[in-house]
Amino acid sequence: MMWSWIPSNGAMIWQLTRENAYLGVIPALIGLVISLPLGIIAARWRWFYPPVLTVINVIYAVPSLALFIALIPAFGLTDTTVIIALTTFSLCVIVPNVVAGLRAVPAPVRQAATAMGYGPLRRLITIELPLAAPVIIAGLRVGVVSSISMASLGQLIGVSSLGYLFIDGLQRSFPTEIYVGLVLVIALALICDLILVLVRRALTPWQPGRDRRRVVAKVPVPVAVRP
Amino acid sequence: MVHDTLLGGLGGNLITFERVTKEYPDGTKAVDALDLEVPAGKTMVLVGPSGCGKTTSLRMVNRLVEPTSGRILLDGKDVREGNPAHLRRGIGYVIQQTGLFPHRTIEDNIATVPVLNGQPRARARARARELLTLVGLEPSLARRYPHQLSGGQQQRVGVARALAADPPVLLMDEPFSAVDPIVRASLQDQLIALQTELHKTIVLVTHDIEEAIKVGDIVALFRPHGVLAQVGAPERLLGEPADDYVADFVGFDRGIRRLSFFPAENLALTSGPFFGGDATVAQATAGGQPWVLMTGSDGKARGWVSAATLGALPGDTPLAQVPADGFGHTFTAGTDTLRAALDAAVLSPAGEAIAVDGDGRVLGVATFDQLRTAIQAADAADTASAARARAGAGGPPA
Repeated sequence: MMWSWIPSNGAMIWQLTRENAYLGVIPALIGLVISLPLGIIAARWRWFYPPVLTVINVIYAVPSLALFIALIPAFGLTDTTVIIALTTFSLCVIVPNVVAGLRAVPAPVRQAATAMGYGPLRRLITIELPLAAPVIIAGLRVGVVSSISMASLGQLIGVSSLGYLFIDGLQRSFPTEIYVGLVLVIALALICDLILVLVRRALTPWQPGRDRRRVVAKVPVPVAVRP
Repeated sequence: MVHDTLLGGLGGNLITFERVTKEYPDGTKAVDALDLEVPAGKTMVLVGPSGCGKTTSLRMVNRLVEPTSGRILLDGKDVREGNPAHLRRGIGYVIQQTGLFPHRTIEDNIATVPVLNGQPRARARARARELLTLVGLEPSLARRYPHQLSGGQQQRVGVARALAADPPVLLMDEPFSAVDPIVRASLQDQLIALQTELHKTIVLVTHDIEEAIKVGDIVALFRPHGVLAQVGAPERLLGEPADDYVADFVGFDRGIRRLSFFPAENLALTSGPFFGGDATVAQATAGGQPWVLMTGSDGKARGWVSAATLGALPGDTPLAQVPADGFGHTFTAGTDTLRAALDAAVLSPAGEAIAVDGDGRVLGVATFDQLRTAIQAADAADTASAARARAGAGGPPA
């Protein structure tokens, strides 16, 4: 470990960290925006969900590098290629959580809302989505963390990220660089995850402290594992 | 005319089921050609075993379920005219699982319908706090979330939420079935008290015949598959069950329970034997009664003492120094029912019920003979009035 390498390359490390954060967070956020309508439709019309699930699972099975390569003819060796690929992967963890979250809204709550005189759209926005938020955010956390770690693969097609430190470190047989990259990827993921936990707490002051049984316990939160 | 029924609660039916049928695609009928009239300002209880269509019938009123045929009139208008959301905002709805919104505070839960109707949130919240008091909860609970309340408290909030927009009609689906018996009894008492004040037209679904008899002005007993077995005042179901099904459903002790509907005010009382503390043992035993009731200086009952106990004491002992052998229960002559009087007699060591006035002073005692006479008289009067009511209404209920 060569500690002096770190301060002397501070500017580059900071630049790569920012690029990696961008490549990790943006796909997850776009993924959320796409997943919400898909999940809402799948939760409402059940027949829609199995085909959606099949498609996103097939996409998830595609190795990320292969997906990058497939997108290069259309988008080149650019951020866009990486962002599209990572967005697609993030759908695989966020869509199931949107569906699970909406399905976990207790039937009596939904029925009471209807009987109080809520129309379907208003009920969705003011009752069902807020109650599904903890499960949706749980999916978003997995999406962000996996995007941040996969973003380093973008380096293989020349898109700058902390992945540079791995490849450069390997080529130069310089482990310090690899360790720094590893620690920063993990730290970045943990920070983003922590931010999302805080967002969830702010959005759901109504949740019983540690005891979230009443809202989410019966729903297994799908946790994605990359093949 | 329309508003007369809404405001006065006198005469007129606020909800009318006309040949209402709900048939599912597989051909099973949940409700079969139901005709039912719910008078304005009354509590109608739909009771029956599970699968009898009572909940389906209730949910067709606010269109959570749509009938296959027939129609339901609310205040003279078919509920299927117009927008269901608007219809529902005018109908309070309470369910067993409360259906409170977990992400909203108690006050915002109660304010739901007023806010949907466009009322400013601050005003709706102020009203919500008043409603908390009305249903017997502390206004300090207003800022809590539902999970922080007990089951009984949540159910009260559910009732407050249903009342928030002051709808003329309240639909209650097994509202008290999920809480323990003590809480259930207090919620039922609360509903009865609320109803004497508010005069809502209430349709309440329960599987519990005791609850139906306690809170209902009219009880509609269903058979399986949505056919009515009998409709009438609770004492009618107890006193004259239409058939064996009704008799079985209301239970083997319906005779005793029916006494709850007869006041004890016409019960003849015997003025003795009871003695104050100044009387001596010799005076108390002079009549040769097996049991003597002792009263205190305030006129309240101290308890029963047997002739055997008194016989063992010197004749000049003041009764104030004699301990009671037993007490039993008392009943209040002006307000209690014959059932309470009979209960007091059964529990008394002397086999006689102690009648007291509103302040607890002894008025007299009632013997089993006197109770029997009063029960027979009340029964005859009740049967006669029911026969008159039937003659007036043109035939027995469906």
